[in-house]
Amino acid sequence: MSVREKMASRPGTRTTDPAYVGLLSQVMTNTLDEDYRAVAERRGRADQPRSSETRVGLIVVLILFGVMVGVSALQTEQDRPRARAERAALIEQINQRQARYDDLRDVISGLSRQVTGLQSTVAAEVDSNGALTNRLDMLAVEAGTSAATGPGITVTVDDAPEASATVGGTILDTDLRQLVNGLWRAGAEAIAIDGHRLSTLTSIRSASQAITVNYRSLSPPYVVTVIGDPGSLPARLLETAGGRTWQGLQANFGITFDIAMSDKLNLPADPRDRLLYARPERQR
Amino acid sequence: MIAVFGLLLGILAGLLLEPTVPEVLQPYLPIAVVAALDAVFGGLRAFLDDIFDDKVFVVSFVSNVLIAAVIVYLGDQLGVGGQLSTGVIVVLGIRIFSNVAAIRRHLFHA
Repeated sequence: MSVREKMASRPGTRTTDPAYVGLLSQVMTNTLDEDYRAVAERRGRADQPRSSETRVGLIVVLILFGVMVGVSALQTEQDRPRARAERAALIEQINQRQARYDDLRDVISGLSRQVTGLQSTVAAEVDSNGALTNRLDMLAVEAGTSAATGPGITVTVDDAPEASATVGGTILDTDLRQLVNGLWRAGAEAIAIDGHRLSTLTSIRSASQAITVNYRSLSPPYVVTVIGDPGSLPARLLETAGGRTWQGLQANFGITFDIAMSDKLNLPADPRDRLLYARPERQR
Repeated sequence: MIAVFGLLLGILAGLLLEPTVPEVLQPYLPIAVVAALDAVFGGLRAFLDDIFDDKVFVVSFVSNVLIAAVIVYLGDQLGVGGQLSTGVIVVLGIRIFSNVAAIRRHLFHA
């Protein structure tokens, strides 16, 4: 028999079917265990002597209840300091992490400042590198160790037609040297003779009837290509001692001395572009 | 009289002996205490109504404690332990309140 049937079969008992009564009001009105009433009615109010067996059960349950209350109170009391300690530890941890966060942020800002500084240093270095490269290129052109191109003049010189007949009709190494020196003085920036670039180590001298430039024997006519201002170079050349000498040579011995201007000349590099013995002396 | 004595004895034993509750059962102890409180107040009211019965009290006490613990345990397993224990405490609290009100009416006839 279920409880509901029991209740229904019992006249006078208030049936509180949860289907009809709201849950809350049922909870509030039906507070006493129905069983007390049921058992009491079964006993029929005849005061039967209570058995000592159930009395012992009651005592045991009450002791159990007391123990539960005591232990639970004790536990809560014991847990309180622990909870407080945990809370304090958590707060401590939060503060520590916060401080660490702040520290790290400081580190970050310091590092990014450093990065910015290094970047500008690098940029400056790159700039000066570029300047150095430019300067190196310019020096290489001036020294003759790199090929050069630009406007300039071509000077073609040749022995006199009957060189063997007249004594002075042959071009000598000194004549060429005078011409080259005059060209330098007139503002030449790069010079080559018959495709041999003149560098700081170039020599122009006679070796058994022939003139050697960079230790290569040349034969007339000699073509001297010069990079410089085509407008001013010829005139300024003629003002130098070398230019005047060559004017004299042309007039007196019939030596060919032609000057032609050109917009673009290509001069090769002196192939010997490295020093074998000399080293720059570093100054500290 | 003997019941009150047993109760005090139990409380004293719990406080003095400090029995260690297994770690697994610890979360269910407070809710079990509330359920037991409900059973105890119900028993007290029945006693004043003159319909008290030892057996009914023992059974209601044990079943109350077990059901409350099991409900909370189930809630813990389902992840709604906090809400379910709140619900159990609300229901038990309402019952305790109305039982105490009935007891008060009995004692003070008011």
